[in-house]
Parts: sequence; structure tokens; C-alpha cells
Amino acid sequence: MDYDYFSVEAILAENQKIQCTFKHAIPGMGHLGGGSERDIAVLSKMQIPIWLAYTIIYSDWAEFNIPQPFSSRVRNALRADACSVRLSNLVGAGGSWYGFGKTIMDILSDEQANEMSQMLTKAFRERLVDVIDQAQHFAALGQANAGGTSGNAAQSFREGLDTTERELFSLAQESAKQIKRWYEDSDRAKH
Amino acid sequence: MALPQSLRVSVTPPELELVASQQLVEIVPLISMEKTAFISGAYGPLRPPNKAKVPLWMAVNLKLKKKCHIIAPPWLNADYLQDRLTEETSQPAFSKLPFRFTEIAKVILDVASDDLESPDKIRSLLKDLREARQAKSREGLKTLDHSELSLPNLCSMEINEIRPYFVQSMSIFTQLVRNPAPDPLREA
Repeated sequence: MDYDYFSVEAILAENQKIQCTFKHAIPGMGHLGGGSERDIAVLSKMQIPIWLAYTIIYSDWAEFNIPQPFSSRVRNALRADACSVRLSNLVGAGGSWYGFGKTIMDILSDEQANEMSQMLTKAFRERLVDVIDQAQHFAALGQANAGGTSGNAAQSFREGLDTTERELFSLAQESAKQIKRWYEDSDRAKH
Repeated sequence: MALPQSLRVSVTPPELELVASQQLVEIVPLISMEKTAFISGAYGPLRPPNKAKVPLWMAVNLKLKKKCHIIAPPWLNADYLQDRLTEETSQPAFSKLPFRFTEIAKVILDVASDDLESPDKIRSLLKDLREARQAKSREGLKTLDHSELSLPNLCSMEINEIRPYFVQSMSIFTQLVRNPAPDPLREA
């Protein structure tokens, strides 16, 4: 989730679309919304990818609404129980909810951005322990019976991880596996 | 980079074991040997039945050829570890153990368990210690934030285990947190 120029994740996070409401009529640009109209009319709404929306919003041609993955409905759900929200459903397959959130945060005004930052941080912190716990649990199980009898809540939590958390999951799993392997193999065999 | 992901984030447990093998242990040699120069230094002379200090790798090598007995370091016995375990389970902080105790204990238990008193007891104590300490580092995860983390007395193997995901989590926090320096006016 770094914002390196070459980071593929950053490019993917900028590919998410947000809804913009145009304040001005812009002739000849109707294709942006994917429709068949030639011009953009005043107050028309369009889904614009973030990398394009930056310019449009900063130039004050349009304003945007907080996208659905960060709506108050999701916020309330996160406040109730962060671990039961399926972040991956909110941003689509391979999407990064935190990355998207960070991008939105950067174009918001101070007050809203702080609120957003608090929500993201809190959600991440609350889910983190569970992510790591499950990763270690799976590393301990080994290949044979992974995905077996681990309970529905745990499984749906795992399916609900967004890309950022998935990365962490695999890091933790890999490291737990390495340690386990080291503990299990004996020096005697080497000599 | 050509290295696989798992090798990019930190060193591997066998590498740590190699590093720990440089530490000196006491042995009772069963053969005599003149002082011999190695790349890491000169060790010896070995004169049975006098004790000698050699690096762990050399002790292991001699032990496997049945040419010495390894004397366990002062912390590697059931009583000491039992005390540490009591401390570990009764206090919130990590108990103080040698920095590379996991590696050294494993190597000695693997090759020289016959030189130790009650090796099985030691094994199970080490396992309990590991679990108690793991539970604590998990608690540390709950209080993680973007700027700092202090887990004193964590040993090298444990640091290595948690490093990849602690570092990654902290860098994510850095991305998500705004205004890293809290605004005093807003706090008031």
C-alpha cells in the first residue's frame, strides 16, 4: 500500500470509480461517462476513475460524493464490529479498501479527511489481530487440512479481507511456517 | 529482485542459528588438540579433562564425533527456566533471557541432550515459555501504531518471526494516519 510511482497497488487503487456531479457543461466530453451523449450537461452524474477525478475536482468542474464503500452504512457496521464487515465485497475482487480510502482521504477537506483517517485506522487496528491469528493458525495446520473445520465466522472473515490485509496474512503465514519448519527439523540429520 | 518474497523481508531461522553458532560455550574435551587458528579466531588448546571455551559450531561438530561433552550454559537448566516461566506468566513484561536463547537451546538439545539434566523437562519448559511470550507479542499487536513499538527483552528468533508483519502493519498505519503530530489546539 505504498504510493510509489511504480507501485501496481497504487495504480489499481486509483482505478476505482467515484461518482462526480458536474458543475459546468463540458462539450464534447460525453464519452467519459461511457454513454452515447456528446456533451456533459450541468448536474449530470458520472462514474469517473479517481486518477481522472483528481484533476476534475481540483479544477472545480465537478464535485463528488463519498463513495459507497465508505458510506455511513459501512461506517456504522464497522463501529459495531469491524471484523464482521467484508471489505473485499465493498471494493470488488483484488481491490484495496484501505488504498481506495487513502486516495479519497487525500482529496477531502481537512475535517472530513481526519474522520476518514480515524475510521480507516480503527478498522485496521481492530481487524489486524484477527488477521494475524488466523494466518498463524493456518500455518500451524499445514497443507493437509487447511480450509477444513475452522468455523463459518472465521472463513467468512478470511474471504472478506481486502488486498492489503491479504498481503499481511501471507507474510504472517510464511513467517510462522518458517519458524515451524526450523523447530521441527533436527541438526542430527544434517551431519 | 530475484529473491523470493520470503527472503526479502527478513533473515531465515537457519541463518539466525548460524549467527548464534558463533557464541562460545564450555566443553569438556575428550581429545587433546593444540591451539588452532580459524577464521573467527584461535581456539584451544584442548587438554582433557580441563574445560575449554569454543564456539558452538565447533562444540556441535566435536560432540557429533563423540569427542567432547557440552556443558550447558547457566540458563539452560530446568530450575532457571521454571523461574523464568513463572515470571513470564505472572508479569506483563517479557522476562529477561539471553538474546539468542532459542537458537542455542535448540542446537544443544538436538545434539547434546545426553549432557543435560532432564532434557525433556527443559524442552517442555522452553515450549511453554515460547507460547507465553507469543501471547504477549500478540497483545503488542493490539497497541501497534504508526510511530513506535517497544517490546523489551524480545529475543532474536521472536523478533524475526514478528518482523515482517509488524513492519508492514506499521507502514500501513503510516499511510492511514493523518497529521502524525497531534495538534495541541485540537486536543484541548
